[in-house]
Amino acid sequence: MPALAVLTAVSILPFIFLVAVSLTSFDLARPTTWTDFSAPFAGYRRVLHDTRFANSLVVQAQLSIATVTLQLGLGLVGALLLNVRTRFVTVLRILFLIPMVLPPIVGAIIWKVLLAPEISPVNWLLGVVHLPQPAWLAHPRLALAAIVVADVWQWFPFPMLSVLAALQMIPLELYDAARVDGASSPRIFRHIVLPFIQPTLYVVALFRIIDSVKAFPLIYVLTQGGPGTATEATNYYAYLQGFSFGFIGYSSTMALIMLVMTFVLSTVVVRGLGRAVEVE
Amino acid sequence: MRLSSAVRGSRRKAGLASIGRLLLTGGFLSFALGPVVWLVQMSLKTEAEAFRMPPQLLFAPSVRNYVELMRGPFLGAILNSFKASTLTTVLCLALGIPAAYALARAQLRRERAIRVWILSSRMAPPIAFALPFYLAFRALGLIDTVLGLSVVYLTFNLSLVIWLTQVFFEGLPRSLEEAAYVDGASTWQAFVRVTLPLAVPGVLTAGIFSFLIAWNDFFFALILTRARAQTAPVAIMGYESFLGWEWGKIAAGSTLVMAPSLLFALFVRKYLISGLTSGALKD
Repeated sequence: MPALAVLTAVSILPFIFLVAVSLTSFDLARPTTWTDFSAPFAGYRRVLHDTRFANSLVVQAQLSIATVTLQLGLGLVGALLLNVRTRFVTVLRILFLIPMVLPPIVGAIIWKVLLAPEISPVNWLLGVVHLPQPAWLAHPRLALAAIVVADVWQWFPFPMLSVLAALQMIPLELYDAARVDGASSPRIFRHIVLPFIQPTLYVVALFRIIDSVKAFPLIYVLTQGGPGTATEATNYYAYLQGFSFGFIGYSSTMALIMLVMTFVLSTVVVRGLGRAVEVE
Repeated sequence: MRLSSAVRGSRRKAGLASIGRLLLTGGFLSFALGPVVWLVQMSLKTEAEAFRMPPQLLFAPSVRNYVELMRGPFLGAILNSFKASTLTTVLCLALGIPAAYALARAQLRRERAIRVWILSSRMAPPIAFALPFYLAFRALGLIDTVLGLSVVYLTFNLSLVIWLTQVFFEGLPRSLEEAAYVDGASTWQAFVRVTLPLAVPGVLTAGIFSFLIAWNDFFFALILTRARAQTAPVAIMGYESFLGWEWGKIAAGSTLVMAPSLLFALFVRKYLISGLTSGALKD
């Protein structure tokens, strides 16, 4: 089957290649170093003492935790809000699709337009109600918050629409039966709604965790990793080392470490998912 | 009497609740759409108008930003985007559909393998793909070519295309093909004449998905292209320089780049969520 051959070629070969390159000291400025295997673990030793790498992991963790939590929270509230069975909801569903189908670079540009001091309508609105107008992208904590907001904006419709789809599968009789038995709304949520949407929540969380390392366009457009290294997530730092500084070998080492970390994390989440589904 | 006033009371409560619900929904909706609307209106304003606060809600829209954009290299970049996305789609469908058909009909229990494969190609941080492809393309002379870019997109999209179309093929009854065999058709003829026409919705969905993913990409195009094969998402960023941002052109370029995404997404909206979670290890 030709497709299978292509598959192997395009997915396994790059991985093998990546492992090999991570063992070299390949530097674009010195082209002959690409076969320099003289110190195969130099990159790995270096990464252990690289405080900028450690910082990038912290930034990535903050970014992932904040965005995934907020997206699931907002998504859940939004889904409960929209859970009415009328035709009107169909239209709303389509409208809520818009942020997540936009090219990520456009999402990033939109937030640059909204937050760049010289042109920001957000700051103008804040000025109108006499609130301070901070330079969002120049302050370390605010810059990270801005990236979180932009990422949440682009992706909260994903959990929202997924959960909404699950909610609309719940048979209406279940609600009626619970009401007749005198169950309160929180109890209905806890015992009827939650079990129905839990698998969806897990799947969506898994995908958002995996994709949360892909906030590259946001960082590239909004902050370039700055101010300082305040928003320099690991994927961005590895990109800088490889394609701005030319240290392809070192960049590959970091990419491989990230790959292993994502894999381990996803496996843990999938296991959790399996258990949660079994419990039911 | 008491009963009816109680009913009226609960109606009023329900009315207040639904007003609250409406307001909150409105808030969510403005959060989701407001930023997009803001960008589009800005693309139709002159630089001076765009900077004016409070913003003018009524203004004479001007297409000057778009006209200027089209005079520059941006048109070429849009063409590159179209070429790369179309080539990706064609390659994915040409390789993926026969594979999906074979998987669906041979009844190999490969589903789990495909899921794991989709998931793992999605799990890899983009940089882990970008580095090996960059090095291989340097050696092969594929840097800054539409073909090279399409090969990278193929990596992500092929598994997705196989997954989406396989489900469609499995839903089609075998008896139709068997009738064609009885009439003397070969396997290939039965597939092309009988099965494929019935699977058109699935093929279209898969095709649109692979086009969208290629069209929306920024990261790989940034690393793997220079001037010749540069795609539109990367070209927009060319209007940001040390002199500052050319806001009007950037807004116009962004609007042009997002238009096909919105249009295509509308066609596949039914499958969008399942496409985004394809390979999920459920059931």
